[in-house]
Amino acid sequence: MQTFIAQVINGLSLGSIYVLLATGFNLLLLVAMIIHFAYPQVVVFSMYIAWVVLRYTGNSIILAVLAAIVSSVLLNLISAPLFQKIMKNREEVDINTTMVLSLGIGMIITDILSHGFNKGLPIAFPPKLVGETPILRVGLISLMGGQVASLAVGIIAVSGIFLLLYKTRPGRAFRAIAEDPNGARLVGIPLLRTGLESYALSGVLGGLIAVLLAMLLGYSSPGLGEQVAHKVLAVSIIAGLGNLAGGLVVGLALGILEALVQGYISGSWSNAIAFVVMLIVMLFRPRGLFGIKL
Amino acid sequence: MNRKMFSLLAVLLLIASVLGAGGKGEPGESGGAGVVIEEWEIPFLNSLTGAIASIGEYLQWGAERAAFEINQAGGIAGVPVKVIGVDTALEPQKGVVEMSKIVEWALVALGPVPEPVIMAAAPIAVENEMMTMTATTSLEYAEQFFPWSISWFPSTADRLPPLAREWAEDYDVNKVVQFVGIYGPWPGMAAAHVDGIKEVGAEHLGDVEVPQDAVTFGPLVVKALNMNPDGIIIACWPDKAAKIVQELKSRGWTDMDKILLFSSADDAALYTTGGADLNGTVIYNYINVDQDTPRWNAFKEAYQKDHNGLQPPSLSTNYYDAVYMIKRAIEETGVTGDPKKLKEERKLVAEAMLNMKNFEGLLFKWDMSDGVPTNKPGYLFQIQDGRKKLVKEIRN
Amino acid sequence: MSLALYYFLTIAAIYILMSWGLYLPYRVAHLHFLTVANMLISGYLAGYMVQTLHVPFSLALIAGFAAGGIIGYIVSRFIGDAPTFTVVIVGFTFIYISRTAVENIKAVGATMGMFGLPAVGGSPAMHRLTLLILLYAMVVVVGFLIYRFEHSRLGRAASTVFVDKDLATSMGVDIKRLGRLLQTFSSLLAGGCGVIYGFIYRSFHLDFFTFHLVGIFMTVIFVGGYATLWGTVLAAPALYGLSLILPPEVASWRIVIYGAILIAVLVLKPEGFITRRLAHKLETTLSRRRRR
Repeated sequence: MQTFIAQVINGLSLGSIYVLLATGFNLLLLVAMIIHFAYPQVVVFSMYIAWVVLRYTGNSIILAVLAAIVSSVLLNLISAPLFQKIMKNREEVDINTTMVLSLGIGMIITDILSHGFNKGLPIAFPPKLVGETPILRVGLISLMGGQVASLAVGIIAVSGIFLLLYKTRPGRAFRAIAEDPNGARLVGIPLLRTGLESYALSGVLGGLIAVLLAMLLGYSSPGLGEQVAHKVLAVSIIAGLGNLAGGLVVGLALGILEALVQGYISGSWSNAIAFVVMLIVMLFRPRGLFGIKL
Repeated sequence: MNRKMFSLLAVLLLIASVLGAGGKGEPGESGGAGVVIEEWEIPFLNSLTGAIASIGEYLQWGAERAAFEINQAGGIAGVPVKVIGVDTALEPQKGVVEMSKIVEWALVALGPVPEPVIMAAAPIAVENEMMTMTATTSLEYAEQFFPWSISWFPSTADRLPPLAREWAEDYDVNKVVQFVGIYGPWPGMAAAHVDGIKEVGAEHLGDVEVPQDAVTFGPLVVKALNMNPDGIIIACWPDKAAKIVQELKSRGWTDMDKILLFSSADDAALYTTGGADLNGTVIYNYINVDQDTPRWNAFKEAYQKDHNGLQPPSLSTNYYDAVYMIKRAIEETGVTGDPKKLKEERKLVAEAMLNMKNFEGLLFKWDMSDGVPTNKPGYLFQIQDGRKKLVKEIRN
Repeated sequence: MSLALYYFLTIAAIYILMSWGLYLPYRVAHLHFLTVANMLISGYLAGYMVQTLHVPFSLALIAGFAAGGIIGYIVSRFIGDAPTFTVVIVGFTFIYISRTAVENIKAVGATMGMFGLPAVGGSPAMHRLTLLILLYAMVVVVGFLIYRFEHSRLGRAASTVFVDKDLATSMGVDIKRLGRLLQTFSSLLAGGCGVIYGFIYRSFHLDFFTFHLVGIFMTVIFVGGYATLWGTVLAAPALYGLSLILPPEVASWRIVIYGAILIAVLVLKPEGFITRRLAHKLETTLSRRRRR
């Protein structure tokens, strides 16, 4: 029983990574109608920026957080016009072209990280950021501060963004310009400013996610973004594109499934089994388990 | 840039790329005594970009360091030597094209690195009867290309069991769980570890497979600990090995010397990721960094100067030694580098290396026997503050 | 012919064929990444047949095509008219499953790979000649088939589906059947390419078939032009050759260069270099000259 509980906790920890990334992914989908396949790579880039700042400021966490947020916002703002230009019809999600464009962005980011930072080696974050000792340890069950923080913030982020997008005026404005720019203009929503704000919001979230992942994982590597990108996309699709709450549930469920497969079956089959389960879900529920929310 | 210019650029690229698939020109025409060329050019098919660029970098460094020293001492038969890095980017598609250009002119080649590129490109070297020194792969991969390749390592089945056995015996390990990365020869190496520990009566409780894209290691570590081992062997990627050690510690593992890391984990990524959490763990590899010889001290100092103080990884000496082996082969056989005699001289150089005796490597001497090294030592080390402290030397 | 040119031509041909394999389902807006799994499965199957069962290469190649086609057909029965996302996930799933299966099957070399495959035709020279002829015969045949498809009712139906699925349905296009046809053909093609790809190297290794290939083929299609088959013919050798001609200092940044080229093309020339209009113009010009 203890082993099972330990694996479930491990699964929640792994799942919180998917939740955080899927939330950011869905946010971009909701406010800009883009499938940013390389969103995990953008977050990993922000992790590297945070690491550089930590190194040169004597581990100042506040500056690292700010730097991560700023870099994520900048990357989003730079890529925004590219996405806008290539989308044929901004009232619908154009998966093919946005996915391909984000593929190109992801390739560039991964390669720059391989070349330009730490000679392509993985980076490690200072122990005090990660947590040096578990906050709870009972037999095989172990809980680190970073794990608790990332799961808690993941849930808060989903709730917060849901409230922002669906219960506040700015949030409705973001969704309006994504769904119907002409209509939004007609009702007096300033397109450029609101559009920039929506990208910046997603950048802020990206920066925060970067810091949380640094706390959770304690390290990063150039290939980290690519390693999780497929699963983040799958989580979002299985949950239902744009479905924030669904992303939370499916992300955590996927994490638990993977942990249980690795723990009780085989590490090498964990990806294959996870994807088969997701595939079965897709075949029976093509619009996602919880429905598309675009 | 307007659309017409874009289109024109594409056409020019297409033409250039077809032309660029051609080979290298002839080497220069004058040189030292008996030698008809100005410079020995040794191509090194290496992964200088891509997922293992950090490994490719120090392999290249080692080869260039050897060339530097040789040139300082007067070159090979009085002629300078140059190692030419040829990037295969871990891509077999690139590796075959580069090798097919190299076989048109090179006397001998270094690499390829790593295994997928070896498998794709080495047959071209074999077909053209050119020695290609795959100095980082196991015998199981290299022997299929004999006699146009040599192995830097004895067979896994001979080499690894003594290392695992000595560790299990010295640290009183009785029940072992092994983390195994599912890649290349590692599962075979893991099996050899198990053979070794069984020789001293230790029990192999099971293997935990580490997926290539694992980002958290809690589930794997819990699975391992659930088997109640008193010893752990880790045979997977360096950064993942470090994370596994950290995860073990966070779940209460305290006997750090009962964790054995295999040699392929001995890479900068292990130390940059693991840091002080690795203190006390045991690692095996094939070079003793604490040796005190002028040659090794100079190598180590130069490496640390260029790599922010990091100790040279185990594989960093392999291509250094390979270049010196080529030097000795050229000088002993008296090859001239004459392109008209390329076929015969390739054969002479290859034969000289296959059974070279008393080769003075950077750290020890060894003999080659039909392309397989004999009497090469292995070492157990304990890691402390990012450095390896020698525990013992082991020879078969 | 120099060896370097031979390998350039053979691998460029593989890139052309595999990019066409992705291009065809993309005509109905499907990103059919199952083709990479088809390459792997058929390749290893053929390798096993030749090396272990001593089956002639020709039969193994046919088996490879057949395996690709059968898998593609069975899967297409489920996803022939599925949303794009589903098709993408199916592709990823099969790539994961097939890679994991090969990792665990000792008979095909598991993680070590399969090497030392016999030369086709008995000698290395004959082997190379055979593969080169085979590949370019495939390029001609498949190119012809795709050309005929594009200029047929089916091709026009596919274009309609790409632009507006609902309109296509209301015009009587059987989207499921069309999707099934294109996916099956592309999987069949990928199966054959997987066999030949491994035999070019006379070995098979898991690292020959990675997600990286998906990125390469997508880049070829979108840079060359996703609306006609000619774009791939231009882009495949150009992009592959680019990495071979760049000086080493620049070549180390080639992934960044590919990414930048992809982004630039998507932004400046969304249809790629060879647009449908350009292809039509060239075809019309050529046919006018022929008539004269």
